[in-house]
Amino acid sequence: MGPFPTVQPPVEEESKSGFFDFLGGLTDFLGNNTSVLPGVLGGLLTGEAYGRLSDVGKEARMGADELAQRQLEMSQFKPFTVTTATGSGFGSMMGADGGLQTTMTLSPEEQALQQQLFGGAGDFFGQATQPTDEREQEIFKRMRTAMSPEEQRQRLEQEQRMAAQGRLGVRTAQFGGTPEQLALAKAQEEARNSAMLGAMQQARQEQMQQAALGQQFLGAGYMPQQQLVAGLQPGLGQQQLEQQSRQFGSGMFGEATMSGLEAMLSSEMARANLLGGVGANLLSGAVTPKPAFGMSDLLGLLGKG
Amino acid sequence: MAQELKSINLVAPAFKGINTEDSPLAQDPSFAEIADNAVIDKRGRIAARKGHSVLTTDKTALGSGTVRVIKEFDRSVGSNVILSAGNSKIFTGTTTLTDATPGGYTITADNWKIVNFNDKAYLFQASQAPLVYDGTSVVRLDSVAGAAGVVQGNEVLSAFGRLWVTGVSSNPSVIYWSDLLIGHDYSGGTSGSIDISKVWPDGYDEIVALAAHNGLLIIFGKHSIVTYSGAEAPATMALADTVAGVGCVNRDTVQYTGTDVLFLAHTGLKSFGRTVQEKSLPISSLSGNITKDIISALQSENTFFRSVYSPEESFYLLTFVGQNITYCFDVRGTLENGSYRVTRWLSTGFSSYAREENGDLLIGTNNGISQYTGYEDNGATYRFKYYSPSLTFGDASRIKILKKLKPTLVGANNASVFIKWAYDFKSNYATAEFTVGDQITGFYGVSEYTTVEFTGGALTNQRSLNATGYGTSVVVGLEADIKGSQLSLQEINVMALIGKLL
Repeated sequence: MGPFPTVQPPVEEESKSGFFDFLGGLTDFLGNNTSVLPGVLGGLLTGEAYGRLSDVGKEARMGADELAQRQLEMSQFKPFTVTTATGSGFGSMMGADGGLQTTMTLSPEEQALQQQLFGGAGDFFGQATQPTDEREQEIFKRMRTAMSPEEQRQRLEQEQRMAAQGRLGVRTAQFGGTPEQLALAKAQEEARNSAMLGAMQQARQEQMQQAALGQQFLGAGYMPQQQLVAGLQPGLGQQQLEQQSRQFGSGMFGEATMSGLEAMLSSEMARANLLGGVGANLLSGAVTPKPAFGMSDLLGLLGKG
Repeated sequence: MAQELKSINLVAPAFKGINTEDSPLAQDPSFAEIADNAVIDKRGRIAARKGHSVLTTDKTALGSGTVRVIKEFDRSVGSNVILSAGNSKIFTGTTTLTDATPGGYTITADNWKIVNFNDKAYLFQASQAPLVYDGTSVVRLDSVAGAAGVVQGNEVLSAFGRLWVTGVSSNPSVIYWSDLLIGHDYSGGTSGSIDISKVWPDGYDEIVALAAHNGLLIIFGKHSIVTYSGAEAPATMALADTVAGVGCVNRDTVQYTGTDVLFLAHTGLKSFGRTVQEKSLPISSLSGNITKDIISALQSENTFFRSVYSPEESFYLLTFVGQNITYCFDVRGTLENGSYRVTRWLSTGFSSYAREENGDLLIGTNNGISQYTGYEDNGATYRFKYYSPSLTFGDASRIKILKKLKPTLVGANNASVFIKWAYDFKSNYATAEFTVGDQITGFYGVSEYTTVEFTGGALTNQRSLNATGYGTSVVVGLEADIKGSQLSLQEINVMALIGKLL
């Protein structure tokens, strides 16, 4: 940001020389026409005052417009970027259409991690949305694989006992086989049923775990972005401070400039009023008969002579 | 120079029964080479068996057939009924054989096994739908209300509150048991089955017979035996013992003697001796004196085996029906070698037996149903035979010259008696015949004066017969036609002159 521009007051010398040129001409005229001269001179002065007032207004307006333009430029949003320690970046700039554009860019590593996490989340969610039948069956098979050797041992032991007792061939209407066989088969079937129910529960838990993992991965996938946003806060603070400073400077500049304009306007108005007053007096003296009003009087009135 | 006669007194000859296993020369004179139509009487003497008196007066339904099966149907209410089978029919009654065969039911054989169970009689035989008799009619077992899973077995046992059926041709090692006290339900309640094909001690066998004894279920295979304990609850019964190498020839040879179970094995008559403490089943041979004869008979038999145990007569009869041979085993005791004393009945025509509750022994013949009583076979005589083993009088090297034979007979009223002797294992017997007089026993206060002669009981008849010929060994025999009176051979006193050395 460059130094504040300064508003230059109107050039004094230019107006001063024109006015005294006018007064010189007027003196010449009055020297030649002493009786009409005051009235003419008063009219001219009044007209001069009027014209000056008009010029002052125009100049004040022009100064104000220029000031507004300068302040608008001074308070214009300045694009800025924030780069985090992990390499991700945040950028804010004005677009071609005047709109504010914001961009966030992750570092390649973070992007890779994010992709991995998003992929994992997708996988987990995909698994969570799958029917659990196959997984139940798979878990059930695994459980049965773990249980089968012991069951086989129990069956063999019972078979040996039954063989020793000569009861392998027993079939009963009440138990199917022997009571022991029924008891063992019942126990094993109960274990099988428990395994089946356990497999169903396990599959559902795993489904929930998949969903939870998907959620976690999804959340973790946004973590670089969240960290970028979190890392943006100091930069934004700095930018806001800078923005506030610029706005403050712009305000100060405006106020100062307006003070100059107001001073110039007051001065010009005072000069115009003075001139207008002189003109009015001259006009008044011209229309009011006075015995003698020589040039010396006028000069005395103007402070010259 | 006159020589002293040597007397050999054969006291109670053949009271040890037949012995065809030992050498005739070395045998104890107490054995017999032949003892036909004989029993061991209450005094331990060889005696003529009883005859049979035909009870049947109307055997129209039987026709020319033979009563192959007899069974007394014991029921809790009403008098018992005699069931019998023959000529492919089922009969009830004894005096009149009433055809009770179910209508439309075709019987192809008369080899029924009939058992009493829960106030009904059940009839089973191979490849034939089982029948049941409730005291009113004989019906198919599978037609009874609630009948289920009825199997066509050849053997049935009523024990432990159930019927046990086996001998199904398609499953020869499976035993089926009925529901408790329900003989027609084999697929419900506590019914069941056991396949013992994996239990046989020598790998494979087929069930022939079943028995229940001493709390054990005894399963007889053809050449092995398996016993189960705890058959009161068949689902939990367990193997108790196995015996390899000994089986049962036929289901109809199994008889209970109260303390033993007798059965015919391929090597003769066997029994389970009861050993409570050892809980094992030692097997003893009961036909050791006629082993070869038994084996020959059972190998030749192609019809039926029939047997009966009569505690009243103290014998176990084993009949090879096709050969018309019956062996009578005296069960009062065993000999030194563990064998029963055995006699033989030939050509009796006995084809079935049944012991009634009152102790009467019923016999099936082609005349219908008879009772084992009296001393005539349906009014006809039968021949009692006794032949001693070869007698050497203690010195086989010297010639024996028989001088006199003095048999002492008990009873034999009005019987023709033939004393026979032969030398040196020859079969040309010399014969001396005599007829026992008409000796009617008179009892004090019962018989009339001058009608009979007062005696103390059975009359004893002693004769002295001259003998001829000589030889180193002598066989002495006695034959008698039994005509309504008992005959016991008390002794034979042989008077011989011992000659020179050969």
